[in-house]
Amino acid sequence: MMLEVKDVNYWYKNIDDALYENVNLTFEKGKLYSILGSSGSGKTTFLSLIAGLDVPKTGEILYEGKSLKKIGLTNYRNQCVSIVFQSYNLLPYMSTVDNIVSAMEITHSQSTNRKDYALSMLEKVGITKEMAQKNVQHLSGGQQQRVAIVRAMCCEAKLVVADEPTGNLDEKNSLEIIRLFKELAHEQGKCVIVITHEREIAKECDIVLELKHKKFNELQHH
Amino acid sequence: MNFIKRAFYSTKAKKGRTLLLTFVFSAILIFILAGLTIQSASLKATENAKKSMGTTVTLSTNMENAMKKSSSSSSDDSSDKSERPDPGSFSITPVDLDTVNTLAKLTNVSSYNISSSTSVNAKSFDAISSDDGEEDASSNASNKEGSSQRGPGGGGMQMMKMSSGDITIEGTNATDTVSNFTNGTAEITEGVGITEDDANTNKAVIETNLAEANDISVGDTIKVADSEDEDTAYKLKVVGIYKTSETADARSMRNAALNPYNAIYTSYTFANKVKGADYKDSADSAVYTLSDPEKMDTFVKDAKKAGLDTDTYSLRTNDQVYQQMIQPLENVESFAQKIVILVSVAGTVILALIVILTIRERKYEIGVLLSLGEKRTKIIGQFFAELLAVLVIALVISGVSGKFVGNIVGEQLLEQQTTTTASSPNNQGGPGQNGGPSGNRGQAPSGQGGPGNGGGAPSFSNFGASSAENAKQIEDLNITLSLKELVELGGFGLAISFLAVIIASIGVMRMQPKKILIS
Repeated sequence: MMLEVKDVNYWYKNIDDALYENVNLTFEKGKLYSILGSSGSGKTTFLSLIAGLDVPKTGEILYEGKSLKKIGLTNYRNQCVSIVFQSYNLLPYMSTVDNIVSAMEITHSQSTNRKDYALSMLEKVGITKEMAQKNVQHLSGGQQQRVAIVRAMCCEAKLVVADEPTGNLDEKNSLEIIRLFKELAHEQGKCVIVITHEREIAKECDIVLELKHKKFNELQHH
Repeated sequence: MNFIKRAFYSTKAKKGRTLLLTFVFSAILIFILAGLTIQSASLKATENAKKSMGTTVTLSTNMENAMKKSSSSSSDDSSDKSERPDPGSFSITPVDLDTVNTLAKLTNVSSYNISSSTSVNAKSFDAISSDDGEEDASSNASNKEGSSQRGPGGGGMQMMKMSSGDITIEGTNATDTVSNFTNGTAEITEGVGITEDDANTNKAVIETNLAEANDISVGDTIKVADSEDEDTAYKLKVVGIYKTSETADARSMRNAALNPYNAIYTSYTFANKVKGADYKDSADSAVYTLSDPEKMDTFVKDAKKAGLDTDTYSLRTNDQVYQQMIQPLENVESFAQKIVILVSVAGTVILALIVILTIRERKYEIGVLLSLGEKRTKIIGQFFAELLAVLVIALVISGVSGKFVGNIVGEQLLEQQTTTTASSPNNQGGPGQNGGPSGNRGQAPSGQGGPGNGGGAPSFSNFGASSAENAKQIEDLNITLSLKELVELGGFGLAISFLAVIIASIGVMRMQPKKILIS
């Protein structure tokens, strides 16, 4: 078991307006999860909890059996989880490859030649060396999202969480991104959790969870 | 060291921001450097002033006590108490040479001048006289009719009408220590001056106008006669010729001896010989120049410990010229210090505000880095490294231009300060630092002098000269840029960068990645 969510409750201002009630979920490695939900249902907040960007009001989240509090949120984000955002969140003043190398350095990636590794990974997602040397802002939205995913791949974290990763992309690019996530889960053995509101995208995942009325319901299990 | 790399990329990519920071930082550092260089130059000038000017302490007869004694003895002698004291009973003792030498051995004495003056008549040559022949003649006539007392001091004798010749003998231990020579009023143009070795010799140094008027050159022998006894003549061997920048004043028109051209420098032993046997091993006064003006009080204490008879002798300290001279420098230094502090504080605030604004713009970047698990300290380190890169460029710019700004600001400050100092009523003229010889020359032949008029008394020939002299010293304020100032500037730059980043980072420490990236 990679990640375990135990009796988690979360609310913003009022306990009566809690987003979840005693959520209990487990996430396995080598699987691609999607969490479906309508806007405002609290799925992004849930991502922030499992990504170590926030802490639950009650309950706890365990990573490989250890509480995130014990691991420390910064350490957890640094060593255990990679986050892919809808808006890519790349550093605008760097080249594509430097964005990845920089993230690898921050997360203390074990690769001996980080730049070569990053370039080879970028080539796998269709970003040539020439493109990789250019400032990341010169890339299209789809390309930037692929860079963000490559960054997650290179950082060697076992858990990848993505918040609406295809939200800004067309269908073709969206399917390409999902293919990459599948590769991450099935070939690299990572646990990938994708937050989305698109059922078409969700269907591509191994396990689909829907957040509705403060509860997570499993809709699909391949 | 990933954060340094990021700092490099960020600095390189955000050229506008980097330029703005460089411009602001350079401006701050230029003003700090200007302040530092002015401060340093003022300190150096003050140090130089200490070295060059020193402080003088004049040993002379305690005139106050002498007057009191004279007054009380007259009162005692007089049966009628209301009768005024007899001026003839006023007596003063010349300064004993042993006392002079004892004090000369005290620490912190850089040099000392023994002064013994008298007047004689020119015998084998003509003194430079005033244009008014009648006045001069009458003056000379009255001189010839002078009474029994000779010399400036009349020390040990009763003060009576004094005789005055047309030549002033300025007895000294060394012309190098005479204030007129040390302050540049007079300089040896030919031959040599009087030295310690010339004691008990008849060597003389005469003024160039006197030499030219009488066709006297170095190596010649001249004759002077006792002002009271024309038959008593003395031979003087001219070993040097000096030129004075002093000019004759109204008094010297009436009395040739007061004409600066008629001053002949000899050994003090010769002056004593002319004055008479009572003056053997004595001096009118001794002026001690101290190497450190701040140890003036210590010198006075040490002198008293060494057994100085303060009833007979007095020590007059004179650091007024030094104080007067350094006052503008101190003002400039203090102002420069304020510039440094003010600009540093303002610079820190300005830079902190700019960094805060840039951090607000970079919230998203901070969020990304935090989501990657980057430590906040390293993010702050990145901002600090960026500012350091700007600091290096700003240091170069300020290093190049700071000296010029320092010169301009320094000159203006100095001009303002010297103008203020010169216009201050306290600084008009001031007491003559030169005390001894020139004071004596002004006083001695008219018979009012004596040893007591040496040191601290106002020197008429130098009246009003102090300010001008000070201005000359202060104009020499040399603003230079040395490694020390650059290192200090670097230190200030580092401190400002550090403080600015720390202030700006308070916001970073409170930032939550979720709020930045998800909301």
